[in-house]
Amino acid sequence: MLLTRKTSAANGASARSSGLVHHLARGLSHAVPTIDRRAFLRRSGLGVGAGIAASQLTLVRKAEAAEKAPATGTGKVEVKRTVCGHCSVGCAVDAVVENGVWVRQEPVFDSPINLGAHCAKGAALREHGHGEFRLKYPMKLVNGKYQRMSWDQALQEITAKMLELKKASGPDSIFVVGSSKHNNEQAYLLRKWLSLWGSNNTDHQARICHSTTVAGVANTWGYGAMTNSYNDMQNAKAALYIGSNAAEAHPVSMVHMLHAKETGCKMIVVDPRFTRTAAKADEYVRIRSGSDIAFLYGVLYHVFKNGWEDKQYVNDRVFGMDKVREEVMAKWTPEKVQEVCGVDEATTLKVARIMAENRPSTLVWCMGQTQHTIGNAMVRASCILQLALGNIGKSGGGANIFRGHDNVQGATDVGPNPDSLPGYYGLAEGSFKHFAATWGVDFEWIKKQYAPGMMTKPGMTVSRWIDGVLEKNELIDQDSNLRGLFFWGHAPNSQTRGLEMKTAMDKLDLLVVVDPYPSATAAMAAMPGKPSELNPNRAVYLLPACTQFETSGSCTASNRSIQWREKVIEPLWESRSDHMIMYQLAEKLGFGKELVKNYKMQKVKGMDEPVPEDILREINKCVWTIGYTGQSPERIKAHMRNMHVFDVKSLRAKGGIDKETGYSLDGDYFGLPWPCWGTPEMKHPGTANLYDTSLNVMDGGGNFRANFGVERDGQSLLAADGSHSKGSDLTTGYPEFDHVLLKKLGWWSELSEAEQKAADGKNWKTDPTGAIIRVVMKNHGCHPFGNAKARAVVWNFPDPIPQHREPLYSTRPDLIAKYPTHDDKRAFWRLPTLYKSVQEKNKDIGKTFPLVMTSGRLVEYEGGGEETRSNPWLAELQQEMFVEINPKAANDRGIRDGDQVWVRTPPMAALPDFKGMKVRAMVTERVDAATVFLPFHFSGHWNGVDLSKYYPEGAEPVIRGEAVNTGTTYGYDSVTMMQETKTTVCQIEKAA
Amino acid sequence: QAPASTAAANAQNGPPAGFVAPAEPKPDENNAARERSQPGNNAPFWRGVRQSGEQAGITNLPGVEKGVLIQEFVRYPGSDHTNAGEAWRQVRNHWIIPYGGSLMLIVLLALALFFFGRGRMGHEHPEGGRIERFTPFERAAHWLNAIAFVLLAVSGIVMAFGKFFLLPVLGSSIFGTLTYGLKTLHNFVGPLFAVTLVVIILTFIKDNFPQPGDWAWIKKAGGMFSKQEVPSHRFNAGEKLIFWGGVLALGLTVVASGLVLDHLVPSLVFTRGAMQIAHMFHAIAAVLMMCAFFGHIYLGTIGMRGAYGAMRRGYVSEGWAKEHHELWYEDIRAGKIPAQRSGQGSAAKPAPRTREA
Amino acid sequence: MARMKFICDAERCIECNGCVTACKAENDVPWGVNRRRVVTLGDGQPGEKSISVACMHCSDAPCMAVCPVDCFYRTEEGVVLHDKDVCIGCGYCSYACPFGAPQFPSNGTFGMRGKMDKCTFCAGGPEENGSAAEIEKYGRNRLAEGKLPACAEMCSTKALLGGDGDVIADILRTRVVQRGKGSEVWGWGTAYGKPKS
Ligand SMILES: Nc1nc2c(c(=O)[nH]1)N[C@H]1C(S)=C(S)[C@@H](COP(=O)(O)OP(=O)(O)OC[C@H]3O[C@@H](n4cnc5c(=O)[nH]c(N)nc54)[C@H](O)[C@@H]3O)O[C@H]1N2
Ligand SMILES: Nc1nc2c(c(=O)[nH]1)N[C@H]1C(S)=C(S)[C@@H](COP(=O)(O)OP(=O)(O)OC[C@H]3O[C@@H](n4cnc5c(=O)[nH]c(N)nc54)[C@H](O)[C@@H]3O)O[C@H]1N2
Ligand code: HEM
Ligand code: HEM
Ligand code: SF4
Ligand code: SF4
Ligand code: SF4
Ligand code: SF4
Ligand code: SF4
Ligand SMILES: [Mo]
Repeated sequence: MLLTRKTSAANGASARSSGLVHHLARGLSHAVPTIDRRAFLRRSGLGVGAGIAASQLTLVRKAEAAEKAPATGTGKVEVKRTVCGHCSVGCAVDAVVENGVWVRQEPVFDSPINLGAHCAKGAALREHGHGEFRLKYPMKLVNGKYQRMSWDQALQEITAKMLELKKASGPDSIFVVGSSKHNNEQAYLLRKWLSLWGSNNTDHQARICHSTTVAGVANTWGYGAMTNSYNDMQNAKAALYIGSNAAEAHPVSMVHMLHAKETGCKMIVVDPRFTRTAAKADEYVRIRSGSDIAFLYGVLYHVFKNGWEDKQYVNDRVFGMDKVREEVMAKWTPEKVQEVCGVDEATTLKVARIMAENRPSTLVWCMGQTQHTIGNAMVRASCILQLALGNIGKSGGGANIFRGHDNVQGATDVGPNPDSLPGYYGLAEGSFKHFAATWGVDFEWIKKQYAPGMMTKPGMTVSRWIDGVLEKNELIDQDSNLRGLFFWGHAPNSQTRGLEMKTAMDKLDLLVVVDPYPSATAAMAAMPGKPSELNPNRAVYLLPACTQFETSGSCTASNRSIQWREKVIEPLWESRSDHMIMYQLAEKLGFGKELVKNYKMQKVKGMDEPVPEDILREINKCVWTIGYTGQSPERIKAHMRNMHVFDVKSLRAKGGIDKETGYSLDGDYFGLPWPCWGTPEMKHPGTANLYDTSLNVMDGGGNFRANFGVERDGQSLLAADGSHSKGSDLTTGYPEFDHVLLKKLGWWSELSEAEQKAADGKNWKTDPTGAIIRVVMKNHGCHPFGNAKARAVVWNFPDPIPQHREPLYSTRPDLIAKYPTHDDKRAFWRLPTLYKSVQEKNKDIGKTFPLVMTSGRLVEYEGGGEETRSNPWLAELQQEMFVEINPKAANDRGIRDGDQVWVRTPPMAALPDFKGMKVRAMVTERVDAATVFLPFHFSGHWNGVDLSKYYPEGAEPVIRGEAVNTGTTYGYDSVTMMQETKTTVCQIEKAA
Repeated sequence: QAPASTAAANAQNGPPAGFVAPAEPKPDENNAARERSQPGNNAPFWRGVRQSGEQAGITNLPGVEKGVLIQEFVRYPGSDHTNAGEAWRQVRNHWIIPYGGSLMLIVLLALALFFFGRGRMGHEHPEGGRIERFTPFERAAHWLNAIAFVLLAVSGIVMAFGKFFLLPVLGSSIFGTLTYGLKTLHNFVGPLFAVTLVVIILTFIKDNFPQPGDWAWIKKAGGMFSKQEVPSHRFNAGEKLIFWGGVLALGLTVVASGLVLDHLVPSLVFTRGAMQIAHMFHAIAAVLMMCAFFGHIYLGTIGMRGAYGAMRRGYVSEGWAKEHHELWYEDIRAGKIPAQRSGQGSAAKPAPRTREA
Repeated sequence: MARMKFICDAERCIECNGCVTACKAENDVPWGVNRRRVVTLGDGQPGEKSISVACMHCSDAPCMAVCPVDCFYRTEEGVVLHDKDVCIGCGYCSYACPFGAPQFPSNGTFGMRGKMDKCTFCAGGPEENGSAAEIEKYGRNRLAEGKLPACAEMCSTKALLGGDGDVIADILRTRVVQRGKGSEVWGWGTAYGKPKS
């Protein structure tokens, strides 16, 4: 007796009993409780936050509402389009908001990037509308406990302390760690804020993420960014993933790759671990962590040996390949390759063959390559392979460098970097003048804000702020040590050398956390350390920032597409947007007016906040270098409203008129991927694939950038004759454009008189009207940044031709002898930096710490993890910190799957009472017997002890665990100060 | 440039020169090997899915059997060889419920026929006898146990069979609510029953050991059909059979399996397989026990005159004792067994009493 | 009439758990109750594959057959649903279900489990479509809104397909043919390249 029910029936109540009986019965049965979802959460102890909430009624309106009765669509329903705030894929989300409460989340099938798809994090995004475990109001650390305080009081105390420090020790005594979580407008504003404060001591996640990529790639061919897009990978015939675990770190990118695979693309994964990405590959190659250069040269060896390189391409568009070839053929014979990376000749040959026979072939890399002391060289070795195969600047080819955070690309482009102003304008006075003019602030005034001589000197990096605090004063390259620190949307457990970080934290005078979550910083700061190391005057403040769903702004996905996030809900609790906080601090610090001169203000919760659209317009007016100028808020928003007109493979719009504004979308690439040249009015469509000579520059075509002069060692650096973007008036290589070149070519007259006046004495990057760009591109089909060769040899780097060098902590003394690291550096980003002395001292470390320790990502958590570990929907899926260990290594140590173990690393050996990191052993073949892997998203345990009591009450994340970076060791990239997080050593023993 | 692409090979028919056919798949190879020998054939993987009951997969969610995709394949008595869930369903729905239900109906019917055919057994005896048949402790234990049993039986019957006779009458909501209540009751009364059952067993075991005369009693079925009762000790062989079979064997089985179903056995992992097995034992034993106790209850109430009073008030008359438990009566008369065992205030050391009647 | 089915394409599933949290978020499923889960076989070894499982909405559903209170029913689309007001939380459906779909909010002693919860194919329950009571007890009724299950709609690689059995079978068939590695073309597909799509 099967019962059926029509889904469409308005009232589908059980058909069995009817009428009165039914009603009676149902009434009766209501007395027996069914499962009450949120209430269950609360009862199970997860909802501690909610308990507090009840007593703080004024603050909890929205958050509580989100917890209460389900919304049924009877209230006022709005749909807000936003973008997932976790990784750089940039998946669009439709947030359904009812009466101001975020009640549902719908997939956006129209998005060409994700077609409605989400990984665990994106699908759980709505939890941001609950925010039970958020930092709810400003707090201050008093006698080891966090106490609530008012915003006014907090801002007052913090700024007073800042001014005091500035007076005593100069503006460089404060370091501000910014965030790739900020939207473009906030990231840009923070860099501006720092400049007006008078310091370059600021940085963000990109440093410890893709800094080596950005530097390496920009120095190879022009821009430090992914050349193609996730979508374009559908056109690839072969793909080599080396040091990327996209299935976990960029899950939705896999939809494009798997589709490509179905149409015949061959997929190769090179990784020390057999990852979930490897599980999808046609070929998996296991290498020793830290040995990518050897492997890539092993592949190149076969490419050169078999003449598989694209000779025409190399001749026309690449500088120095012959030198690389010599190096590879001489030094990287198959035996040497195998000795270093463990891969035999047959395998490297097979990889070379697949890549060569299936062109266009693409190459993907990520943290497996970047996070090394030789990261800059590793990524260049990858570039060289792609250049040799002629894959760069081709659809289906390219270097698909998967970026990290949702807006790390944007924050790198226009955000808080210690060595550049927005748009990679160097720290020269000219750059400051360019921005001073845009900001409407007097250059001399800005200069005075800086300590003398410090304006043009790159600041310290986030990877080294610890040393900025702890290093001997005479050894650092600025007057004072660091005394104040802001963690403005950045976790502490993402930086290496956690043990020393605790000491540094205790020594500070001022520590401010601006974050929606209290973050591990709060717990680490409150946790008692050595009393002797604690600065008695230290002040610690926590300021609640709102998330990106409580404000609006633009963010740049990995493929350089810019998307606009609408505000989903009003800021929860007492939180405020980052740009509001910046403005309010600036007001109190005395540069409020200068900061917001060009912006209108809007009221949020009754307070003034700069309008994000205006900040973007200011960016549009000055960031010419990388073409952040065509993406006006209006154009981006039109894209967001009309995602369906963009082709999923090419990202290009086929027709389409935005109903709201009448804007014609035809020909635009989705999100106007930068460079989107010139003014918005020029209607450049953006650039889907960089350096693609098969297209006209006005269709997103291009060529390599001329950024390194025109000649080197008697060889021209410009592209060979006949190699140019389609339809270019200049068919030879040419340098970048400035007023002189324009005049020489006789194109000057194509500028209007007013434009000529503004552009005189300027180049394309500083011409305030963008007229040089317009004339060059629109009228002559040329590229404003010139047409040059990519550099296989980057002569301004420590290793012009990438060299394999053993990590500082290596288990292979034989290889240390053959491939030693660099010499120590005296003043590097203002700090002494050690290489050889560390490696020498530890060359036999493998005897006591025989396992190679590497770290990386789990799909459910992100970054330091406080945000995602506070999300119960995600937290449930990873409830314990663990270490992946091979059965052999485990058996030798008497460890069985699921056992608790102590992981110890060299820095811990120095501390007698420090036992290590207590984690669960996951015995698996994923890693080989010499390697172990730990996820890096955990924090909140320290030396085996749960720190939950040091968090502000009710705000500790649902899941806590040992942070792997408590154990990571010293080691920094020789160009960018990238920290070594992928290759170090450890020992593991079973916990009693 | 790239060597001749495979596309060229596409155009022509038949294998190109030098084509080596992939290796023949081997039946026992794992999925990785199979992917090479027969790309796209995931048979080993799907076999793995089928066998995940024995070799579970990995999943992020903690908890028992989360890595099992399909329950282990088994054959329970009476079922096909199929996944355990389905096998259990077959055992329950094809055997326990229909045959168990029928058996119980048959027993009830037989008792009814017996009652109408034979009527109440035994003779009337004056009330207020002097022989103490059951001490207050024995009676308390018995009645607690009996009440628990009745509650369990009623709730159990509703759970197992209610949907056939109650659901159509009450409608799903009332039936659901009622059953929810009864099921909860069952779950809590069960452990109470377990405790009292143990007490009962300990108290009555001594007088239930086989004794001379039991065999004779059995051979004549207690004289049930001959109108002449066969002499027995304190408990006759019929009662002893109920004791050993019904109370001890079935009772303990029901209790043990019930405790498993109740998640009350410490350190046992409550897998679905464990629950299925426990359920089958429980349900079968419960049905048999109910059948047995239908008889016991019948005799203890309307079936046998004076029996109820004995358990109710504890005392029987000499006549009753002589009629039904002659050997016991003689022992009492012989002073081997005291007629009054629960001493006033000192039940522990009952003073031997002289015969009074 | 459409017959609703799930298919999980193990060649595509990357164990990202998007489907799992999509379900959690859409239906506000509490901690410990997992209507959907992803299981990996051969973890960490070549050949590793994952599939995402929930209720299969079986045609001859064991859960339905053993339920003592008969609280299951089947919609015209073949979705197996149950009535929580009637459910007594006995756990029998979970013993019978081959796939481990039925879930309980607690696992307490004395057999106290609470009312059974399982994947509804995002089709709610017996309450009025889209009513607060329905959402509270069963989650969203997406089918009634003309949408498909949240888990399948959001699957990161489109491995998980949910919907009319015929349609999704077609999608999968196309894919298998595209891969050129369907049963028809074992071996040869890889040797000769793929048929052009
Ligand atoms: N779920 C999730 N997704 C994320 C993030 C997150 O935190 N969680 N973070 C985002 C961010 S910030 C980033 S930067 C990206 C990072 O994305 P990925 O770089 O893809 O992620 P990781 O896991 O850090 O590292 C990738 C792989 O590098 C391997 N590896 C280790 N050492 C070496 C080596 O020496 N050589 C090679 N070739 N490989 C090596 C590791 O085994 C690991 O599998 O992910 C982004 N996406
Ligand atoms: N051992 C090891 N260490 C690593 C890595 C590794 O692979 N291994 N990877 C490195 C890499 S690639 C990276 S990118 C880093 C990542 O590490 P982090 O970026 O430090 O980690 P997250 O937790 O993502 O930090 C982001 C913080 O910003 C907050 N936040 C979110 N939205 C907003 C907002 O709108 N405003 C503000 N103010 N705050 C916000 C979040 O709550 C969170 O606290 O870790 C690095 N560290
Ligand atoms: C002798 C007395 C008992 C009888 C007659 C009895 C009878 C039953 C019956 C008929 C069922 C239903 C089976 C079905 O529907 O397939 C059942 C289920 C069950 N019984 Fe008993 N039972 C008894 C004692 C116990 C005891 C002592 C316990 C526990 C200690 C117990 C615990 C259970 C449990 C847990 C269930 C499963 C249903 C549920 O979880 O609610 N029972 N019993
Ligand atoms: C409504 C239910 C019951 C009634 C009316 C009932 C009635 C009786 C009566 C009248 C006697 C005394 C018989 C005599 O004097 O020889 C008796 C004895 C006894 N009953 Fe029950 N009973 C019930 C249930 C149970 C249950 C559930 C159990 C145990 C599981 C049980 C176990 C015993 C035992 C052990 C004896 C002593 C006889 C012997 O050991 O064989 N009874 N019962
Ligand atoms: S984390 Fe990345 S892949 Fe996952 S939903 Fe968000 S943007 Fe998409
Ligand atoms: S609960 Fe299990 S048995 Fe029932 S329909 Fe779903 S999968 Fe089938
Ligand atoms: S738990 Fe509920 S749905 Fe499952 S069998 Fe028991 S009563 Fe039926
Ligand atoms: S169909 Fe709906 S209820 Fe079922 S698993 Fe998917 S999201 Fe959850
Ligand atoms: S969302 Fe899709 S790919 Fe991810 S685990 Fe679920 S089924 Fe697999
Ligand atoms: Mo990153």
